[in-house]
Amino acid sequence: MHAISLAKPRGLDVVAQRARLTGSSLVAPALLLVIAINILPALYGFYLSLHKVFFFGNEGFVGLGNYVELFRDPFAWQAIGRSLLFTFAALAVAVPLALLAAIGIRRLGRWGSVLLTVLLVPWAMSPIVVALLWKWILVPSPGGLVGAAFNAFGLPPQDLLTDPLLAMPTLIIVAVWRNFAFATIILIGGLGQIPRDLYKAAAVDGLGAWESFSKITLPLLAPSLLIVISMLTISYFNEVQLIIGLTGGGPIRQTNTLAYLLYHTGFVELDQGRGNAIAAVMFLINMGLIAIYIRILGKQSGAAA
Amino acid sequence: MKSMIFDRRSVLRASAAGLALAALPKQAAAQGLSGTVRVWTFLGADGQSPREVVLREIIKRFKATHPGVDVRIEAQPFQELEVKFVAASAQNRAPDVIWMRDTFLDLVQQRGALADLDALLSDDFKTKVLPDLYPVFVEKSVFNKKRTSLPIWPSPAQAIFYRKDALSELGLDAPPLTWDAFIAAAGKLTKSERLGFGLPTNDNSVSAFINILSGFGPSIFDAATGQFNVTSAEAKEAANVVRQLVANGALSPTLLNAMGDDIQDQFASGRFAMVQAFAPRFQQYKQIAAGYSGKDLAVSAWPAFGTRPPAVLLGPYWTVGISAKAANPAAATAFVESLFSEEASMAWAKTAGLVPDRRSLLQAPFFSTPEASDIRAFTALLAAPGVMTFPQRMPNITKVFPVMNTALQELIGTKESVGAVLERAKSTLGW
Repeated sequence: MHAISLAKPRGLDVVAQRARLTGSSLVAPALLLVIAINILPALYGFYLSLHKVFFFGNEGFVGLGNYVELFRDPFAWQAIGRSLLFTFAALAVAVPLALLAAIGIRRLGRWGSVLLTVLLVPWAMSPIVVALLWKWILVPSPGGLVGAAFNAFGLPPQDLLTDPLLAMPTLIIVAVWRNFAFATIILIGGLGQIPRDLYKAAAVDGLGAWESFSKITLPLLAPSLLIVISMLTISYFNEVQLIIGLTGGGPIRQTNTLAYLLYHTGFVELDQGRGNAIAAVMFLINMGLIAIYIRILGKQSGAAA
Repeated sequence: MKSMIFDRRSVLRASAAGLALAALPKQAAAQGLSGTVRVWTFLGADGQSPREVVLREIIKRFKATHPGVDVRIEAQPFQELEVKFVAASAQNRAPDVIWMRDTFLDLVQQRGALADLDALLSDDFKTKVLPDLYPVFVEKSVFNKKRTSLPIWPSPAQAIFYRKDALSELGLDAPPLTWDAFIAAAGKLTKSERLGFGLPTNDNSVSAFINILSGFGPSIFDAATGQFNVTSAEAKEAANVVRQLVANGALSPTLLNAMGDDIQDQFASGRFAMVQAFAPRFQQYKQIAAGYSGKDLAVSAWPAFGTRPPAVLLGPYWTVGISAKAANPAAATAFVESLFSEEASMAWAKTAGLVPDRRSLLQAPFFSTPEASDIRAFTALLAAPGVMTFPQRMPNITKVFPVMNTALQELIGTKESVGAVLERAKSTLGW
């Protein structure tokens, strides 16, 4: 007779403890990287924002002096306004465009994938390369593509990047061109999760295309749309490379957003104390926007449940 | 006792041996140098612009005479050179050789990032080469008796480039050299899609406004403070020049934040009759000319106010220094010296069309040829009575150019009063 020995069953707490340990050890390297690359420099940046730092020389503690100066500067407030204008105008163009592209690409089937790949090219390119490319396209002389197009219609060259009225809209168009395809991918994923049966039922009920879109597509796509809006908001609010490459904050500060002001103050004027103060303010505004979106997303999830 | 007979052959042999012996220590020193010289410049190691081609030739020649030394070009964006250098110096990873703009010299030397060249340069260089360079540039690099850098490519920096074919339409050979006449001519040069005058208004190290103001002569800069009076009567007159150029169509009110490169590209395509341009790029402008013939390109000083001589503001220009923390100072010094050899100066002149750093070379036959006519024009500008440099120490130097460029944009693109625009610029500078 053989004695059968049964292994002692592991306690659930032991399993959970091991799972936690495994999870922590997997997360730890990434966490350490985030601390080293993001959190410590951010804390050091905040420390520097409390000092007068010029051209890498720390000239002493000034408390909140850099912040006080910043908020007393009317151009800083103007820059915040320009950032918000740029961000929300770009969103207003990019999101509907991405939605239209997502719907179109899904209907195109295999050719849609080809189209999406083409649309993704600008997103994969470095922003500064995109800026240089568009600078050539927009150059207001016979060598520029847009200049040639105007010329073909007998129109004079247009200073799209240097005219105070046209610079911001032009910048917005380029920014949207660069990354709306990224938003399209997310929305394609969202559209794929909407059951097709709903559309069939709507057709049986006699709903038109617009009613199907407004009563089925939009409500069920809301979580994906909110993700898209959140990510694009942060992306546009922090956009600086396109501005450096295309307009340099001009003309007459028309495209001088907060992100550009940060670059200009810290890296051109070399006032690194004040530059870090701007970075801290930008961080707070970003956090504020994220908090708003999380709140909206939370409500949305609650409503969906 | 045998008498010694000195025939012609033995004398020649002895002389040859003597010369060889004299050359030995130098050769031995050259061969004794080894390691790598890291160079930070805005010129690319593989670039095709005339200056890049010459730099490659110089490096090739240097390596041939110093086989143990490798020269590594680490190209940097030109507007970041000084900043990156000071940061790298603080972290003990600075290159051995650094290209810098003269306007940043004071800031960089204050950080202790530059070696004293007088302690490094060979006696031969100090006695023969230094006195042969343009004193106006050389002296600006000396701070408290410490030689921080050597100026390279002497030039009037920001000059006016113009198309002879366009000016000939008005029966002119060159732009008028007083502002009143210049404004009138520039207005008439605007025709169809061509503009009479183009100004870079958004560069961080160039200010067209200061160039216009330089028409009042060197007294615009306060010798004690290094500042210029932003709201003075002279500054207001300079601002009025801008307003008049806009009013008569010479300047476009919608071309507001063009950078130097934009102006260069648009000038090449024929959009302007005259532009403010960086003098060392003259050959490049000629090469890329598409909307007109490169042969029609010429250079002029800036007009002056009243009866003053034409203005030539020498700067910002490039200088070359050696890091105080250079890993290989001896080889770095030898390389820097090679940039100013007679061969190098001739190469900069012949290939890149630059005024030779060595003034004595101007006597060489090449500089009398038609090929060197542009260089003669630049050399004449350097010797002009209205010549001046930026002060050695100008407060807020990192803000001056952007602030004055924004003021210039406002002068061109708005109807706001000249006084209000200049007051705002002054207040932003904190002067």
